[in-house]
Amino acid sequence: MVAPCHELSGRNLEGSPKDGDMSSLAEYVQQLDGSDEAERIYAAEDIGYRNAPDGVPPLLKRLSQEPSRAVRDAIFQALIRIDADASIEGSIWLLESEDPQIRNQAVDVLRHKGARSVPFLDRAMRNGDRDVRKFVLDVLSGVQAGGVDEIYLAALADHDENVVITAVENLGRIRATQFRRRIEELLLAGLHPMLVGACLEALAGIGDESSLAAIRGRFPDLGVVPDFFLVSCVKAFGALGAAAEFVEMTGLLAVRGHHLRPAILGALVAIRQRKPTEIHGEQLLPPLQAVVDNGDPPLCRYQAVRVLGFLACHDEVHSFLVSCLSSPERLVRLGAVESLRESPRPGLQDILVACAAKETDEEVLQALGC
Amino acid sequence: MPDLSVEQFQSLSQQIYQKLGLHFDEKKIYFLKTRVAKRMTALGLDDPREYMFKLSYADPHGEEMQALANLVTTNETYMFREYDQLQAFANYCLPEVLSAKQARGERTLRIWSAGCSSGEEPYTLAMIVQDVFPQAQSWDCEIVATDIDQNMLRRVAAARYGARSVADVPDEYRAKYLIEDGDEWIVRRRTTALVKARHLNLSDRMAMRAMRGFDFIFCRNVLIYFDDLSRKAVVDHFYNALNPGSYVFLGHSESVGRVNTAFKLKRFESHLVYVKE
Repeated sequence: MVAPCHELSGRNLEGSPKDGDMSSLAEYVQQLDGSDEAERIYAAEDIGYRNAPDGVPPLLKRLSQEPSRAVRDAIFQALIRIDADASIEGSIWLLESEDPQIRNQAVDVLRHKGARSVPFLDRAMRNGDRDVRKFVLDVLSGVQAGGVDEIYLAALADHDENVVITAVENLGRIRATQFRRRIEELLLAGLHPMLVGACLEALAGIGDESSLAAIRGRFPDLGVVPDFFLVSCVKAFGALGAAAEFVEMTGLLAVRGHHLRPAILGALVAIRQRKPTEIHGEQLLPPLQAVVDNGDPPLCRYQAVRVLGFLACHDEVHSFLVSCLSSPERLVRLGAVESLRESPRPGLQDILVACAAKETDEEVLQALGC
Repeated sequence: MPDLSVEQFQSLSQQIYQKLGLHFDEKKIYFLKTRVAKRMTALGLDDPREYMFKLSYADPHGEEMQALANLVTTNETYMFREYDQLQAFANYCLPEVLSAKQARGERTLRIWSAGCSSGEEPYTLAMIVQDVFPQAQSWDCEIVATDIDQNMLRRVAAARYGARSVADVPDEYRAKYLIEDGDEWIVRRRTTALVKARHLNLSDRMAMRAMRGFDFIFCRNVLIYFDDLSRKAVVDHFYNALNPGSYVFLGHSESVGRVNTAFKLKRFESHLVYVKE
């Protein structure tokens, strides 16, 4: 990486309106090249606090030759503090560095600059190599700003798949619903498994009914979808589905591997939360009871017990949940307390008081109200 | 109570670990859920997904993460808090630094308890130093306890503590270094003599530059109340304040490595500590 000469020349150090201030800046710049590490750190810090754009070129110049990580850290802090385009331009330039620490710190500086960095990122997206384009998206993943749609449009059309995947991931995270259709298209056409997975995850966040149809178009039979995709599919179904998907997910509990159960149970919880009146779940007890009784991991068993909360008013489910209060697994007991409280029945308080008398786990006792 | 799903709990605990260094495993699921419920009520949210989105992507200045941090961390300070760290200090770091100093013919030891609050930490360190290194009395040994709050510094000077503050002090230390006085415990004079209380604002960069030549810095559970940039600035100052081969200890909820890349991570058996090389 070669620094642009005009940026690193330390121009204008003498030409400021306030000569006294500028001589101080010149002093700090001189100290940046001092032999004492602490002196260089202080110089970088002082330049940052001066908030002088003219301090940026010397900071960048020093960065390229600075052996001390502590000084480099201080230089990046100074770039964050200097509220000027120069520090943004300098950081964009640093995205091309061979040194991953410098690249990561440059991403951090640009994130701190927020919306102000967007025009510069837009330019870098058009002119940068594929690594820079990917870093531009890394910056955007931590920036809340308008005016980024053009950058994302360019990224989604990028010929490098990593850039496209990163863009899809970001768009899902920031809930950019305006890109929903484009992501559905990518899902249906995508060949790269990571891209397909990213589209599924994004649609779980920003999808709608048409997205659900697109997912079904790509994966018509969940019973045979490879595990790698199933977790994301199930997540999307949980986020977008309704009663039919609830029944479908319940069926998957019996036919897919135990390791997929947390994802399936998560989808059941999600649908139940979104569509409480549409879900009946009469057939739910046997498969969930099987999860609780068959020695799945504690969190999975907890999840299964929690799914049953909305059915706690039914006699069979209520009895099962009461039996869970005696489970040796604390998370099963905790889930049972929470689920029983969801649909309180007469006499429940007495049951819980009796349970509290025997309970020793601090969290379960808290849930019991003790 | 808004119900955080298991996936949301896992995602949240991962985020909290990345940003605060606090580890919430499944044993703390109810604890975390109740704290999140409080935050959601305060924000007028009833869908956990909305809260997760806010925390993850709509919290550019980390204010919500800070609000959650305030609920999931304890402000309580007491002697021998975070015992594991103190074990690493007493069993490995302190002997290493002392023997290096002895080899160089030096007889000074300087420890800084930054953000010392009412003094439980500096007095804990003083007790450990006296116990591990009885020769401390004949060395030029000082524990500089700084805080921004003058009221706290007055409490350091008083060196009187209630039962909660001393509850975790091991019996042998209690017998050697504390005196019972009614409901309170007083730190013995030979221990208080090691501690020098001083007023200092960690954000005052000029005052911070004057803090030099330390062998250890303890700044535990203080920086979580700082924003990102200020936290980095403080840790940069700690770097300068330390001698080469010296150690910095932040709280379990604060990782040096996330704030400053210049310190080296060092392992002593199961303990991980940060050293300035």
